[in-house]
Parts: sequence; structure tokens; C-alpha cells
Amino acid sequence: MRLGSLENLRSQLVEVTLALVVGFVGGALALTAFGYNALENIQVMISYGFRDLGYLLLKSAPIVLTALAFLVPLKAGLFNIGGEGQLYAGAITALFLSKIGFYLAIPAGALAGLLVGVAIGLLRVVRGVNEVVSSIMFNWTLYYLSMFAIQRYLLDPVYTHQSIRVDRVLSLPEVVTIMLLSPLVVYLLLYNTELGYRIRVAGSSSRVARYAGVNLNIVTIQSMAIGGFLAGLGGAIQVYGVTTVVDTTLSSLYGLGFLGIGVALIARGNPLAVIPAAVLVSGLLIGSHWMELRGRVAPELADVVIGVIILALSAPYAYRVLASRMGWGVGGG
Amino acid sequence: MNPTPLSSNTTRPRQAVLMKGITKVYPDGVIALRDVDFEVYEGEIHALLGENGAGKTTLMRILYGEIRPTRGEVWVWGERVEFRSPRGALAKGISMVYQNFTLVPNFTVLDNIYLAVSSTMRVSRGEVVGRLQTLMGELNFKIPLEATVEELPVGLQQKVEILKALVMGARILILDEPTSVLSPLESRALFELLRALKAKGVTIILITHKLREVKSVADRVTVLRRGRVVGVFGVGEVSERDLARLMVGGDVVVEGRKLEGVRGGVALRIEDLHVRDDRGLLRVKGVTFNVRYGEIVGIAGVQGSGQKELLEAIVGLRPVERGRVLIDGLDVTGYGVGERRRMGLAYIPDSRVEGLALTMSLTENSIIGLLERFLGRLNSIRWGLAEGYASGVVRDFNVVHRSLWDPVLHLSGGNQQRLMVGREISANPRIIVAHEPTQGLDIASSNLVRSKLLELKRRGSAVLLVSSEVDEILGLSDRILVMFDGRIVGEGAPGDFDEEKLGLLMGGFVEAR
Ligand SMILES: Nc1ncnc2c1ncn2[C@@H]1O[C@H](COP(=O)(O)OP(=O)(O)O)[C@@H](O)[C@H]1O
Ligand SMILES: [Mg+2]
Repeated sequence: MRLGSLENLRSQLVEVTLALVVGFVGGALALTAFGYNALENIQVMISYGFRDLGYLLLKSAPIVLTALAFLVPLKAGLFNIGGEGQLYAGAITALFLSKIGFYLAIPAGALAGLLVGVAIGLLRVVRGVNEVVSSIMFNWTLYYLSMFAIQRYLLDPVYTHQSIRVDRVLSLPEVVTIMLLSPLVVYLLLYNTELGYRIRVAGSSSRVARYAGVNLNIVTIQSMAIGGFLAGLGGAIQVYGVTTVVDTTLSSLYGLGFLGIGVALIARGNPLAVIPAAVLVSGLLIGSHWMELRGRVAPELADVVIGVIILALSAPYAYRVLASRMGWGVGGG
Repeated sequence: MNPTPLSSNTTRPRQAVLMKGITKVYPDGVIALRDVDFEVYEGEIHALLGENGAGKTTLMRILYGEIRPTRGEVWVWGERVEFRSPRGALAKGISMVYQNFTLVPNFTVLDNIYLAVSSTMRVSRGEVVGRLQTLMGELNFKIPLEATVEELPVGLQQKVEILKALVMGARILILDEPTSVLSPLESRALFELLRALKAKGVTIILITHKLREVKSVADRVTVLRRGRVVGVFGVGEVSERDLARLMVGGDVVVEGRKLEGVRGGVALRIEDLHVRDDRGLLRVKGVTFNVRYGEIVGIAGVQGSGQKELLEAIVGLRPVERGRVLIDGLDVTGYGVGERRRMGLAYIPDSRVEGLALTMSLTENSIIGLLERFLGRLNSIRWGLAEGYASGVVRDFNVVHRSLWDPVLHLSGGNQQRLMVGREISANPRIIVAHEPTQGLDIASSNLVRSKLLELKRRGSAVLLVSSEVDEILGLSDRILVMFDGRIVGEGAPGDFDEEKLGLLMGGFVEAR
């Protein structure tokens, strides 16, 4: 990192621009194929998606955090697919503590996410369970556990399709502050501290890490703890800053963790680039709802359009990451 | 397809390869070759000699159709060619054996060869087996075709590569630094094979930076220096000394000169050490020795005699089955790598993939085992300090680079090696364990590294040197241990050994007393 990578930056900009073009052309083709006016609908998506800046930033904040939750373990060579479950844990824990107020509830949510992350890390270190497998299992377990917790303990007596409302809400400036500070802190942690250095050496090569005296087991747990913490924080913020309630089907939480993976990949693994990437993806998401409303595009098709764009944006880097992890050649990371 | 023997001196030998006016500029602006002419006759062994980075590999990759020249012409068998891929080269009978083999490790020998052959022509396995048997018969060696490749020693894997090329119809065989992975015995066997191939009429281009190889096996030699041809000779008409001068561009001292230091107390003590390898085989079988401050102890041995496991146990990377490791009289057998490093122990591994985080920058790699020295408040890394250290390393060890913040990945192999070695030596360790420290380096850089090791010793550090280069061991060590099959089979001062005696001990021929 640091200096000397201007050229790198330029080639990445070219790559992202090309991907955007490919993504939008792909999305337009999908719309046309189903008989919609592609140009008009995409115009709606873009102009409405980025219209309300406050709403846009609110929507982006949790995704910034789940993106970082994927990114930190990735630097250590781990695939934290468990951001989704860690986010549920954070959201529900924070919701439980809503009576105490968010000064305690939000850190508690982050801590809950951290514990899930540590559990995944421990399973890998102690029992050799691949973190992807255990992450998926945790995601489902926590999904149903969260639904149960809402139904059983947190249900609103009046509106029985959702949880009670939190007592205090984070203001927009507060949410934005967290959204801007978290990537900065993660950046400093990764590139300017001993811990970050050890994480990156471990991610570069486990053999080199051993040579350098880096304890891989400890790094695995540390990076999963940080990842879980961030995703948990994202869940708490989603509840306290964006939705203030959680519906019984978790539809206001579902997918935020997975979206973070896409955003981290679009950001090419750079913690600071996570911010614009998250804003872009959120804007497209908001815009796609408008596309459904205005253009009467079927929701599934709107999802396809978004999916194609995100895929095009993240695929090149995702390939490099996979390639370096599977040893198909060097690069990525 | 026997070539007609040259009946009289007046007939010029047939030309196999002619490269004319070749210039190659890589996309990043490096001019690797400038107006190079290169000619090879049919049936000769032609050495392409040059230091690391001289452009040898680049020239041959052009001939092999892997990359295209910026300017210049290539002629094969008197015909102008413009290969677009190695396939085209293969069709003309050109094949290249790389430093890193291209075999599938867990396939059998036959499967590997069949896989390659069947991708270019229609043959049955039976036919391939038949051809292989004939070839091995003619060339007088045997490889079990049903053995999986990873079971075979490196020397045999290389022969599999050569067989593969021959079965695919190679008549011009390019070998890129083939002995860099071989023990002296294996190298000798390879040269015998090359001579046998030559007798069969195969044309061989041997890339090397080792003078002795040129003299012992080649017929003619082309010397490259910094992308230019600086001489073409029949091997008989030129001395090793002249070749060395041409190749390096100045007078060279081929040996490091010893500097006397003050011998101090015991720095490192190894007691009855037993160590297993990754597969659980006992590879170090009761080794005991001391290394004192101000002394270089050299361990000679063919690769795979247990040196790697011994060194890993010493630095803390591998558990010890039995025995002890002591630093300054303190039993550190149970200590981790980091703790031993903090006691002043440095380690140069024999593999750059182990010692360098390739995706990270030169600066980041410079501090890899020394992190503690560069920490500030809140365990933050003082990058300014780190950068200063890195710039000292690249200056003292001639690491050619563009930016200290570029990934190490983009450096050439020689520069990576110098960075890795330089980092460990520049830290001024009290004890250094060096495994093949000059591996892949040209003469000038090897001498640089050797002189730095000698200087370290003169200043009172303890040096444990493991090398399969006999010259290096003889030239640097104050005391020599010979390792074979996990045991020390010989010990003495350098004066007690000559190359032949050392070679025999390394090969397991223990003298009867
Ligand atoms: N793919 C490449 N891209 C850019 N520069 C290269 C590449 N391959 C080699 N070089 C540079 O070209 C020069 C010649 O390299 P090479 O042909 O590998 O030398 P040799 O085989 O004699 O050691 C070196 O300076 C090397 O760094
Ligand atoms: Mg080369």
C-alpha cells in the first residue's frame, strides 16, 4: 500500500469503469429482453437512487460495516461469509437492550457479533473446520434464532408483525460519523499497526507467517473477532439508526451481510474505498425500488438488474482473490 | 533419422538456429536484449552463458515462441519463422525445459508424458510406452513409468521433462539453468545424458551461469552481458578466467577471501538432535555440534540429506523429536520462532517463497522478522524508520527496484534473493543460519553475499552455513561438517578436504579408517 501504487490505482479505475459499463449494458439487456424500456428505467434508477442524500447515507452505513467485516479476515486469508449471522446477532442483542439506551446496546451488539466471529475462528483453529462451512451454518442458525427471539420476547403488542421499537434513535450525523470513521480505523489498523501487519503477512502466505514468527491461530481468531465486531456493529446501527424495528421475517436485516461481501470486493479490498462502493450499491438498491414503483418492473427483474451490475463490478477482484487462495497464480489479496 | 557424420572439415555444419538482430523491450520499458545475434549448429551443445538478468531466458523464450521480439528475425533449419506460441516452435522440433518443472506432482511419469503428448498428436498409451522404452534404452537410463512424479528425486523429474520433450519430437532442446536444482552427482548424470543426446543428433542449448559447466559439457559458447552478445567461442579456445571476465565485465575474484576474526564462546549448541519431516520420517538422526562466535561452520551435503529439517529445528519452525538446541548455553528447544529471533538468531531460508511475502512491498518485507524494532506508540509501525532500513538493505545488496513500496512480486529472482539475504544480514544478528544464501545469484552477487557473511563473522557473529555448492563451503568455512542421510559423516578444517573427498562424503561414500 502507501505510495508507489498510482499506476495500480489507474488500472483499477479503468477496470471499475469497464465493469460499470458492462454491468449497465447487461442490466439494460435484461430489461429489454423482458419488454421494458431499458433507458427510461435505468434513468429512473440512477436519478431516484441518488436523490435523497441523507437516506442514501443511512442505507449505506450498515453495508460499510459488513463490508469491513468481510475485508479484515480476507486480509488474513480467511473468507468470513458469516457477516450475515454476525449482523443478526448484533441487531437482536442491541434490540434486547433497547431499554438501557443505545450507549450500551450498540457496543453490546458489536460484542455479540465478535463472539460469533471468535466462535468461527475457534472452530477453525481447534477443530480444523473450514470457516466458510461454519459461517454458513452460523448464518442459518442465527437467522432462525433471531426470528424466534423476536416472536417470543420482543414482539410489539400492537403491530404483531414486528418487534418493539427502540427507545432512542441514532441521528443521521451520528450514523454518518460511524460510517466514515470505521473504514479509517480499519485502514490504520491494517496498515499502521503490528496487528495489521501480522494479519497481512498471514494472508500473504501462511508459510511466510510461520517463518516470521506470526502465530496463525491467534491471527485467525483476532481477525475473525474484528470482523464479527464490525458486522455486529453494523447490525446494531441498522436497528438504531435506520429501521428502529425489526420485522418478524427479518427482511430489514436479511442480505446486508452478503451485500457487504460484494461491496468489499467492489472496493478491491481497500477499506477506504468501501465507502464509495457502499454508497454506489445502496443508491442502486434504492433506485431499483423506484424502478419497481415507476416503471412497474417486477421486483425479481429489478434484483436481476442490480445483481448483474454488482457481479460485473466485483467479479475481476473476486477472481483474483480466489486465484491467489487456490494457488492458480499470484495476485489479489 | 541419423545425421550424416561430417565427412570433412570443409563442410560447414548445418545451421539449426539463427537469431538475427534481436531486440526485446518488455512492456514495462526494460530493454532485455539489444541487437543480439545467436547461431547454433545442428548436433552441438551450445552454452548460453551470462549473469542473472543478462537476458538468457528472454532470448530463449523468443526462440520458443513464448514471447515475440520487438525487432529481429528468427530462422530455424534455414527457414524464416514467426512463432505465435510454443506450439509453433514444437512443430519445428524446439522444446524448452524450465527451471521449474511443468509436471503434475501426483500423476505418474507415464500419465504426465501421455498428457503432454496426446495434446499435440494422436497416439495410444502403448505407443508412448514403446517410444519411452526405446529412448531410455538408447540413452542408457531407467525411470519407473508407474512411479508418481513427486516420489522421484529432482534429478529424475528433470529427466522426465527431457523424455517428454523427446517423445513430443524435440530435435532442439533448450535447458534453462538445469543444474540449479541438482546435486553435484545428479548434475554429472545430467551431463552424461546430454552427451548421449548429442550422439543421437539432438541439438542442445544449455543456459547457465556456471563456468565449469560450459567447460565440461559444451562445444561452443555465446556470452551475454546486459542484453548484448560479448563473445562467441569454441570451448577449447577460451579459458574459464576469460569467460568469467567477459560475463561479469571486469576482473573477478571467484572465491571469498577469509578474514580472521576473534573466536569467542559457544553461540549455538546442538545436542543429539532427532527431527522428523512433514511425512513423519526421521530425517535428522542424532546430530551434535557447536558453533562459536566469530566462526563460520559450513555443512556440506546433497540436498535432502536432512539439512532443511535440521535448520528448521534450530530456528524453531519444526518440533524436535529428541535432543536439545541451546543458544548461549540456554536450552531453547521449547521456544518459538519469535523468541529465538529476539535472542539474536537470524535465518535465511532456502526458498524465497518462505522468506518473502510476495504480495507485500520491499519495505514491509524488510522488517518481517524484526517488527519489534520498528514499533512506536500503541504498537504502531514507524514506517519512516522501516523505509530507512529497507533503503539501506537495497543499497548495500544492490537490489534493483522501482519503489520501496512496490510488491516484491515484481522483482526478478536475483533481486528477491538479495533482498531476503540482505534483510537478515543487515539486522546484525549475533547468530545467523544461512541455507543456500547465494542460490540463483550470479558470480558478482554471490561474492557480495559471501563477503557480507565473512564480515559478519569478523565482527564476532556466529554463522552456520548450509550449502550444496562445494566451493562455497570450502571457501568460507572455518570448520566443515558433512551431512549424509541425517548424520554428520565427516568433520574437519577446510584444509582437510579437497573437492573430491568432499564430493565422495556427500555422496555417502564414507571412507574406511
Ligand atoms: N516478463 C518480464 N517483464 C519485464 N521485465 C522482464 C521480464 N522478464 C525478464 N525481465 C527483465 O529482463 C532482463 C533479462 O531477464 P532474463 O532474460 O530473465 O535474464 P536471465 O535469464 O539471463 O537471468 C532482466 O532485467 C529482467 O528483470
Ligand atoms: Mg533466467
